[in-house]
Amino acid sequence: MTATVTTTDRAATGGPLLSVERLSVRYEPKRHAPTEAVSDVSFEIRPGEFIGLIGESGSGKTTLGTALLRLLERPGRISAGRIVFDGTDITDLPEDDLRGMRWTEISTVFQSSMNSLNPVLRVDEQFRDVIEYHTRRRGQQVSDRIDTLFDMVLIDRRFQRSYPHELSGGMRQRINLALALAIEPRFVLLDEPTTGLDVVVQKSILDNIRRLQAELGFAVLFISHDIGTVLDLSDRILVMYGGRIVEQQRARDLLADPLHPYTKGLLGSYGDPRAETVTITYVPGRPPDLTAGYTGCAFAPRCPEAIAGCRSVEPPLLRLGEHGGEAACHVAALQRGQGERSGVGTEEVGPVVRGFAGPQFVKTAEDERSLHDREVLLSVDAVSKTYLRRRGLGTTRTEAVRDASFVLRKGAVTALVGQSGSGKSTLARMITGVESPSTGSVTFHGEQGSFAVGSRRGRSLRDYRSHVQMVFQDPYSALNPTKTLGYILSRPLANYRGLRGAEARRAVLELLETVALTPAERYIDRFGYELSGGQRQRVVIARALAVEPELIIADEPIASLDVSIRAEILELLNSLVRDRGVTILYITHDLLSARMIADDVVVLNQGRVVEQGPALEVIRNPQDDYTRLLLDAVPNPTAG
Amino acid sequence: MTVVGADPMAESAPEQTGVADGAKRASGPDPWYKIIWSSKKARVGLIVLAIYILVAIFAPLIAPYPPQQNTFTPLLNASWSHPLGTNTGGQDVFSQLVYGSRVSLLVGVLGGTLATAIALVIGLISGYTEGTIVDDVLSFLTNVALVIPVLPLIITLVAYSNVRGIGLIVGVIAITSWAGAARAKRAQIITLRNRDFVTAAKFSGEGPWRIVFFEIMPNMTSLVAAAFVGAATGAIGAEAGLAVLGLGSNDSVSWGTILYQADAAGAISQGLFAWVFVPGLVLAVLITAMSFINFGVDLLSNPHLREG
Repeated sequence: MTATVTTTDRAATGGPLLSVERLSVRYEPKRHAPTEAVSDVSFEIRPGEFIGLIGESGSGKTTLGTALLRLLERPGRISAGRIVFDGTDITDLPEDDLRGMRWTEISTVFQSSMNSLNPVLRVDEQFRDVIEYHTRRRGQQVSDRIDTLFDMVLIDRRFQRSYPHELSGGMRQRINLALALAIEPRFVLLDEPTTGLDVVVQKSILDNIRRLQAELGFAVLFISHDIGTVLDLSDRILVMYGGRIVEQQRARDLLADPLHPYTKGLLGSYGDPRAETVTITYVPGRPPDLTAGYTGCAFAPRCPEAIAGCRSVEPPLLRLGEHGGEAACHVAALQRGQGERSGVGTEEVGPVVRGFAGPQFVKTAEDERSLHDREVLLSVDAVSKTYLRRRGLGTTRTEAVRDASFVLRKGAVTALVGQSGSGKSTLARMITGVESPSTGSVTFHGEQGSFAVGSRRGRSLRDYRSHVQMVFQDPYSALNPTKTLGYILSRPLANYRGLRGAEARRAVLELLETVALTPAERYIDRFGYELSGGQRQRVVIARALAVEPELIIADEPIASLDVSIRAEILELLNSLVRDRGVTILYITHDLLSARMIADDVVVLNQGRVVEQGPALEVIRNPQDDYTRLLLDAVPNPTAG
Repeated sequence: MTVVGADPMAESAPEQTGVADGAKRASGPDPWYKIIWSSKKARVGLIVLAIYILVAIFAPLIAPYPPQQNTFTPLLNASWSHPLGTNTGGQDVFSQLVYGSRVSLLVGVLGGTLATAIALVIGLISGYTEGTIVDDVLSFLTNVALVIPVLPLIITLVAYSNVRGIGLIVGVIAITSWAGAARAKRAQIITLRNRDFVTAAKFSGEGPWRIVFFEIMPNMTSLVAAAFVGAATGAIGAEAGLAVLGLGSNDSVSWGTILYQADAAGAISQGLFAWVFVPGLVLAVLITAMSFINFGVDLLSNPHLREG
């Protein structure tokens, strides 16, 4: 317990625990131009402080985290600056000296909980390994410590003898957290520890972190792309963009008075799903290409407040806020009379705006489409799905879906909401005809009469797909990396509509225009990896539209995108419903996005439909406890 | 539902409207030839292979005599007119060596291609249909091919065939060497076939053949290339081995047949070292060069190796 004692001492004296001084990290691949992924970053973390580091993918936040842990691998290296931990300069410390510090002083939880536990060792052996290496505890003492750690993260002690694959993603991530705290380090780096977990699990892990941090007093650097999850945990927030820190403020000041337009953009992605009118904004465009280099402010091309000076002079990080908040933004500096120091003199700027002045997506209570006069496109009647798995001598029954009934109406969006494991995906598979229900029926009411969907194969499944298409969760894996967008989009056109050659090309261009990838000629010969996540998802949507389907199943289409661009895709889906009359089944665990886009909501818990009805009614007046649980888990920094 | 200010913004942001042309292109993956060339070993291998190919193509210009011409005094020592001397049959060893490169390279290319093609078709179909009867049959076939003792099979096949041309040798080598590669391809496609882009191709109405050979296979080109180089190397070695055992093609000269003749004539006990060692050395250098090329091909499939 000596560590805890010194922590308190240090907190009293107030010296920084970790200080980063003008740190730059460069990637210098042999055959490419070098990239400065982190430039000139300085900040301090005091003992017991909780810092949030926010930025979208490609902003350099993970590289910065890796550099702090001294885990950078070639071709990346620290090219300038220093990292000082508790008075020791660790920038060039040899591996052997670092090994003694790792875990006892500095530990970490990585993003992918799946891969950071050894799959062939039982969980307790991995704890034992760490504890015995770093401490003098042996035998029963180690077991006691493991028990304590499991209690700390609220996991039943019987799971100590499990293998990692036997645990759920949320449990694995808690175990990683417990493992990181095993030797009572003074500093823990959390790199997106809840990304990929659903909202309810995410919330419980965050609560866990908050409680432990308060009890044990370690300092935290929490890296995330989702400002909503960390804002109320953090003492201070660092916002990163294009490898630089563009804003640094105390969390509550940042919320009250965000300085940088990018921060405003990040905050604008949240809303209260229960509100009468919900407005969310998104940051258009794509992150800067750091290999190409840029002059002026990296955010200027995407910034709605940009002035002429932003494109020529790089803004320095200046103290602009009342409580020591810092930002690197000419506009914010000018608005606060600091234009001279920022290097843009006295250019004209508008008044301070609190929100993001960019594109926004608004949903009001009146927008609700009235549905009940609409025809039914697909009906799910008393559907159950049971999986039988033979295990040893007996069989285990898994009831994935139990007695679910709902309808999808033409030209409407129905949200199917639930956590992972609630049976959403099983229902989607039955609706797409890949699997058939154990009991009950799924009926499609198409133009050529109604038919049962059932389990289809070969030609019949192929024919059914001219009515029902799919938008996938991960746009990075949904586009074949070896094919151009033109090829990808031309295949459904050839297969279902018999379009070839010039005719097909015209149709492809039209599809690209539909999803706002304009001018389409510039995109047709591109590959998926040349696009940003949001642009890729647009291509995936265009492909689904190619066969002119009546129903599109969108399986968490925004879950793997940065929060700041999610509304962009929601808006596109919404316009498809409005302009083309497509019916959408929107599968999600996030009630905010459901509120933004859906007319009807079906809430699913453990395979059962627990609540359904018009979106506004269900969200504003939830009847079931589970719906309330989901609602409470929606991160909403603006509400606090 | 109202959407405010969305479109003008999208238009005004330059990055939204297009991918910056030149810069974006450059940051895509390197072309394959650059990656292979970046490996020092592969560069050496490619240069050596290029020399062999040139020798094979221009054999009539380089070799002083036709390879079968047996009108010289037997067992001449090395001299300007016979750089490696003559053999017991009165043939010029250097000319035989030069022409022999044609057989080795031809067998390498054809044997490698055929073995890789069989491995691809069987491995990919079997992996894509994993768990079905088709996979069971193909996997069974692959497993049988894996456990059959190859050498006795080759010897039996060749010994009992009437014509012993290059075609036969290539065929025999291919059908005895595809199995391991087929297993590898099966394992690879199993990891790829559940990717979203495969499901998406199904939703685009693609049939299984197109999905396997047009959607999935291009994603494993580098692995296919590595398998081909490996198979070609194996085929060259196998041809030489067969020829040394006296089972080579009997209408052409290969390095293996030179070694066979040298051995039959007791070249070593007679002190005719050049006759034995030079063909062996030439063969060893070619096989080494091919293995070096595979170091470069490995860089294609495993980007982590590229920063050495």
